[in-house]
Amino acid sequence: MNALLIAHNTFREAVRDRVLAGLVVAGFALLALTRIASPLAMGEDLRLTVDLGLSGITWLGMIVVLMVGSSLVAKEIDRRTIFNLLSRPLPRSVYLFGKWAGLAGALSLVALVLAAALGAVVLLMGHAEYLPSIAQAAYLACLELAVVTSLAVLFSALSTPVLSALYTLGLFLAGQWCEDLRRFATQAPEGLRTLLETVANLLPNLPLFDIRTIAAGAQTTSPEHLALATVYAALYSGCVLLLGSAAFESRDFK
Amino acid sequence: MAVRTVGLTKEYRHPWTMKVTPGLTDVSFEVRRGEIFGYLGPNGAGKTTTLKILTGLLKPTRGRAWMLGTPVEEVSSRRRLGFLPEQPYFYDYLNGVEYLEFVARLSGLGGREAGEAARRWLGRVGLGDRARLVLRKYSKGMLQRLGLAAAMVHEPELLILDEPMSGLDPFGRRDVRDLILEQNERGATVMLSSHILPDVEALCDRVAIVLRGRLERTATVGELVEGGTPRIELRVAGTPVVELPATLQGVLERRTSGGDTVFTLHDPARQQEAIAWLVAQRLEIRSVTPVRGTLEDLFMAAAEGAAIHASVERRSA
Repeated sequence: MNALLIAHNTFREAVRDRVLAGLVVAGFALLALTRIASPLAMGEDLRLTVDLGLSGITWLGMIVVLMVGSSLVAKEIDRRTIFNLLSRPLPRSVYLFGKWAGLAGALSLVALVLAAALGAVVLLMGHAEYLPSIAQAAYLACLELAVVTSLAVLFSALSTPVLSALYTLGLFLAGQWCEDLRRFATQAPEGLRTLLETVANLLPNLPLFDIRTIAAGAQTTSPEHLALATVYAALYSGCVLLLGSAAFESRDFK
Repeated sequence: MAVRTVGLTKEYRHPWTMKVTPGLTDVSFEVRRGEIFGYLGPNGAGKTTTLKILTGLLKPTRGRAWMLGTPVEEVSSRRRLGFLPEQPYFYDYLNGVEYLEFVARLSGLGGREAGEAARRWLGRVGLGDRARLVLRKYSKGMLQRLGLAAAMVHEPELLILDEPMSGLDPFGRRDVRDLILEQNERGATVMLSSHILPDVEALCDRVAIVLRGRLERTATVGELVEGGTPRIELRVAGTPVVELPATLQGVLERRTSGGDTVFTLHDPARQQEAIAWLVAQRLEIRSVTPVRGTLEDLFMAAAEGAAIHASVERRSA
């Protein structure tokens, strides 16, 4: 119950923040740009619109995670608003979970708005067959942003906003390459292979959430893939938040 | 007991040099149910550290504490607690009623109940007409009132208030005094820290004085004040040029006040001797006023004593 209250308040904070509204406007501008640039796409204008529109959801969402998520808890500690919360019957783990859920909810709202705008553009172009793939890709982008948000919340609870943003961005980029790392591990010597595989398993497997290329061709992914991605996002975010809670539990608020 | 601490100690360790700085050393005290307990000390004495340990914001290095019988490390110990932090900060994107409703629900009130309590308490602290104003537009005094309302909105059994009079004008201070007394009459135990000693003297049943992280004394306000040194003030008209008599050297001091001269006699037993001397000097005596020791005097004396003690300890080390 208290997690929902914290989530609701975090969602309210994010929605009232100008950053979120600004990024939605930026998303619309990106879509408009793809239409203006369509004559340069040499017949691939629809593919370009869908690909850029879906990439925009992830990258603009990532900007929100870095700008808002990285300071989500640190800002509360710095401004001492956290004193009014943790002096109530609110476990610190519930507080962290609520913060994550609130921001993940706000990011999902942004993704929904941008995906709806992309869907509307595609419909206006007379290609309704793209709608299922756009919906799937937007759903997976929400899961990807939820995973990255959990990392931002973890670092934000233990570090300064700048360091937290750097760590989150670093893991986001490393997570994009974790399949390459896994491939590289298969060709490495025995000792190094184990190390690389361990690192690849610890990094967030973000390629799992990327179906932009097939969505740009109006193809959909299997329900099994969607289910696997959902379970992976829940487990990975849960583990990160549990780790964050364990470290946050012993933190002093001077 | 509403609050109990045993050997509460907090040490801060520098992350690089590993140097240990004591914040609180072996503090033990009890706050009885239904009383108003003042926790006094100068800046950096350890008042806020103690209150933060009680409210779960800091972990003690050693020692234990209980609130309403529950160890403070358990989240449930804060179920019946209302806490006002020093210089409280709030979410500036919320308005007054949204904020109070939010914290009331966090403290266990249901949605409807929280909404009603939020509106009632905003009115109670004089912010009823600012319920929909966003908090970034509140003044410092208004935020302090909101903080008090947030501490009391769920009508807790125990109130811990860190500098509740801070940032308030005299009218605001009077309102807060009335509010604290009203909550105490309702049955709430109140523990407050304050720098404004006349307010503490007017409100508290008992006080504890903490200096340099150590508890110096715990007593009723009456015990402390009665234990102080009384004096007599003799006010005479004008500012006459007279030399203090040799027999009263060291016990009689002179100062001017509002065009008059005030002689302070530190030994009340020699009152007649001092009056006889003033009459002999043909001075016009306007008043003779016995003055009892104030809490402020005693607090300052205790602080000076602790400073001397610390200096002796440093020298012997």
